[in-house]
Amino acid sequence: MAIKTILVIEDDRFIGEMYVRSLKKAGYSVDWMVDGNDGLIAARNKPYDLILLDVMLPERRGTEILEALRGGSEDLIPQSKVIVLTNFEQDDESRMAMEQRADGYLIKAEITPGKLISVIEHLG
Amino acid sequence: MAIKQPKFAKDYARNRKRGAVIAIATSQFVATAGLAALLYGVGFYEAHPMGAVVVVAAQAVLGTILAILLYRGIARPLQDMLAAVIHVSGEPSDLTPPNPNTDKNEKSGFKDVLQTIYELASTDTNTPKSASTNEAQPNQTVAKAAVNLQAALDETICGFVVMNHERTITYANKAAPVNVTTEGTTQLALLFSATNTLDAWLTECEQSAVHAEKVWTRIPNKLPEEEDRRFFDIIATYDKGAENEVVLTLVDRTTEYSVNERDLDFIAFAAHELRGPITVIRGYLDVLQDELGEAIDAEHKELFRRLTVSANRLSGYINNILNTARYDRRHLKMRLIETSIAEIYDMIRDDMNLRASSQGRLLADAIPTDLPKIAADPASLSEVLGNLIDNAIKYSNEGGAIAVNAQLKGDFVEIDVTDHGIGMPGNVVSNLFQKFYRSHRSRETVAGTGIGLYISKAIVESHGGTISVRSEEGKGSTFAVSIPTYQSVADKLKAGDNSNEGMIDQGNGWIKNHSMYRG
Repeated sequence: MAIKTILVIEDDRFIGEMYVRSLKKAGYSVDWMVDGNDGLIAARNKPYDLILLDVMLPERRGTEILEALRGGSEDLIPQSKVIVLTNFEQDDESRMAMEQRADGYLIKAEITPGKLISVIEHLG
Repeated sequence: MAIKQPKFAKDYARNRKRGAVIAIATSQFVATAGLAALLYGVGFYEAHPMGAVVVVAAQAVLGTILAILLYRGIARPLQDMLAAVIHVSGEPSDLTPPNPNTDKNEKSGFKDVLQTIYELASTDTNTPKSASTNEAQPNQTVAKAAVNLQAALDETICGFVVMNHERTITYANKAAPVNVTTEGTTQLALLFSATNTLDAWLTECEQSAVHAEKVWTRIPNKLPEEEDRRFFDIIATYDKGAENEVVLTLVDRTTEYSVNERDLDFIAFAAHELRGPITVIRGYLDVLQDELGEAIDAEHKELFRRLTVSANRLSGYINNILNTARYDRRHLKMRLIETSIAEIYDMIRDDMNLRASSQGRLLADAIPTDLPKIAADPASLSEVLGNLIDNAIKYSNEGGAIAVNAQLKGDFVEIDVTDHGIGMPGNVVSNLFQKFYRSHRSRETVAGTGIGLYISKAIVESHGGTISVRSEEGKGSTFAVSIPTYQSVADKLKAGDNSNEGMIDQGNGWIKNHSMYRG
């Protein structure tokens, strides 16, 4: 299943705009949420093919969002893939916990929009 | 003869001495009187009155002296044993405890007797378990000391845990980090790192040790972010066959180590802040170059390359700082997977070529693709190679050639980075891998932080590998990194599963930075 719709949950305006711009240019349909609460609501209301999830978010951390979506007995987003995108150096335990529930974990500073798009192509 | 019941052991010593004096005096009086009666009876006194008086007086004096000497010789060990008992019972006394190591005691074998007394005493008061049974015994002083000891153990902030040969906890004081399961067994609440656990050490001891000691530092009782997380330094002693086979002493060092934890938090937050702008710079450089395409001329393209190289290096330095902070706080963990040097170098080749060419160096790599797989953390090992190539660029001259090669050496794959630059004298080489070390010369002429080689060595050694350097002043240097082949460590890695250390990942379907897509 090829990825077409993407939800970006990212509070940094520059980084968010950069991803949205590049992803749209590459032909994806993109929604962008800047805080954790809105991000969680959007993720539950619409079946996105992919969610790009930041960790350090206002209102609700990325860890909590992922916990809410995939931490219970039921996967609330079975049709969505999740890539955690963060610049925050989490401790190993927290990072492992997120990696187990996500489909990818990337450091934003290490990845350019071009590389991100090639990751998404591989994922789909 | 009625003897008063002694209250203390030392009273018995005094009574016994008095009894001995009375016994000697009485016996000598009887003997002297008997002798006098005998001499009178046989008529010796009538014939030689003076001689008889002399004989009787001599018997009285010599007999008394002899009796005292005999008593001393016979009663001496008894007195010493009594003094030893008085000493170990803890009674107030001015008696000096006998020394088992005198020549006389060694020759007569009395040394063993005294040592037995002392040893019995020391094993008896050591364990609170036997202390509680002692309460029933009449020797209340010893029992009181044991009760005091137990109270003291529960008051101290150090934890004490005692285990038997089945590793069942038989005693834990209040400060010890233990919890009780629903079945009622007491367990240690400590999170050892995956491979270096107490259980692993005990298994090793059971196989090969009689007495052993080991120290662990900075062992937490809970995961980060859990409430009341504490850190302990642990001293373990193992004594095969003893009732208390394992004794753990735990020192609560939370105050000291949690400061470090906060430092690490600070560094993690600082890195987060620094990485934000770098993300945008690297991202838009990528976007701009892509979108401008052929619209800009060669000179502007070169400027873009320099910007890209600088942003990439900045990103690498931040990773160095983060890794160093983690390593110094013992948080640096490698996740070793089955991979190859060629795959790892593929991740960074473009970046490295760009770095070298923008500085006018000729970087050439010749890494065979058919080398055995290695057990490596790709992100960390690529940072090591990045550091070595950065150094080769820094310490060589415009137009200089830098070569990256790899070959199999026994159970290791060796990767070499060779430059033909300024090289180093021997005294510099020996300090090279120390933190913040910069050679006097490079401090003046070359920019740098002095942590690149330090963290590279830490990363390589965390792989079970080695890093070394050959250098000749004026001719250049070769840095060699040896990493174990996957085959040689696979068993060890698989044994550590269910843990984040030594995690095995075949690398399928999982996307991480650096694994394919490092920018």
